[in-house]
Amino acid sequence: MFYLLKLIKEVELHPKFFGPNLRETLKNKLTAEVEGTVSGKYGFVAAVPDVEKYGQGKIREGTGFATFDVTYFCIVMRPLKGEVMDCVVTSVNKVGFFAEAGPVQIFVSNHLIPEDFDFNAMEDSQFVTTDESIRIRQGTEVRVRIVGTRIDATEMFCVATIKEDFLGVVGDPT
Amino acid sequence: MAEAEDYVGGDAEWDEPEEEADAEEILEGEEATDAVEGDSAEAQQGPRENTGPRTTTRYLTKYEKARVLGTRALQISMNAPIMVELSGETDPLKIAEKELREKKIPFTIRRYLPDKSYEDWSIADLEIQER
Repeated sequence: MFYLLKLIKEVELHPKFFGPNLRETLKNKLTAEVEGTVSGKYGFVAAVPDVEKYGQGKIREGTGFATFDVTYFCIVMRPLKGEVMDCVVTSVNKVGFFAEAGPVQIFVSNHLIPEDFDFNAMEDSQFVTTDESIRIRQGTEVRVRIVGTRIDATEMFCVATIKEDFLGVVGDPT
Repeated sequence: MAEAEDYVGGDAEWDEPEEEADAEEILEGEEATDAVEGDSAEAQQGPRENTGPRTTTRYLTKYEKARVLGTRALQISMNAPIMVELSGETDPLKIAEKELREKKIPFTIRRYLPDKSYEDWSIADLEIQER
């Protein structure tokens, strides 16, 4: 799920940027520091669409740098338990398969794949239905329901299921 | 400056002048102990801006002068844009002194009082004594 949040960050700025374009520089620095990171509290920061307020600078004694409290809006992505999302399979092995949806790593275990799928290690490992009509292999797009999440300081990991109505393969690369 | 929003009224008279808002920074306190003491106090209640008329001296003290010149010279040595016209000076400290003489240093001094409140004085508002 995506959220629009208002957050505050302290941004440190080198004296050489203390000029007419100070705010622009601050915004660029903030964007570079924040975008693409995962915070345990909020999830993956996808974008910084706008800055609401630039605080007044405070001098760092000894270094000559100034720190600014910047209030900014950001779009964060955070997987939730029970959420249904589409993802792309990255690898398949006998205990299940891994998939990813943007920054989120997803694992779907054997137990959470419908019984009529069987693991086939012969031609590049894949799950195949007994009538061989549906295959799950690297590159397959699947729709999953998230049953568990873990968000660390640097990555987001989910356990998901496709053993439910309307879940499963939604597209195949070939 | 988030703390400043906590109090209401009476600010128009002595709020920091917004000239060159782009390059305005606050130089905090005078004593080194500020960092240590200030942090714990900030967690408990937070220092607040003093309301009412400012009571501290309108002269730039020699300690403030030393800190302002030192910090500004350091910034100039790190390529900060210079606020005055130069006539051949190259020493950062000399340039900082010239900026101070013309009151062009874009700092605000935050003077902390013993009760943890503070007063902000822009360099431009302070009297600078040549010695």
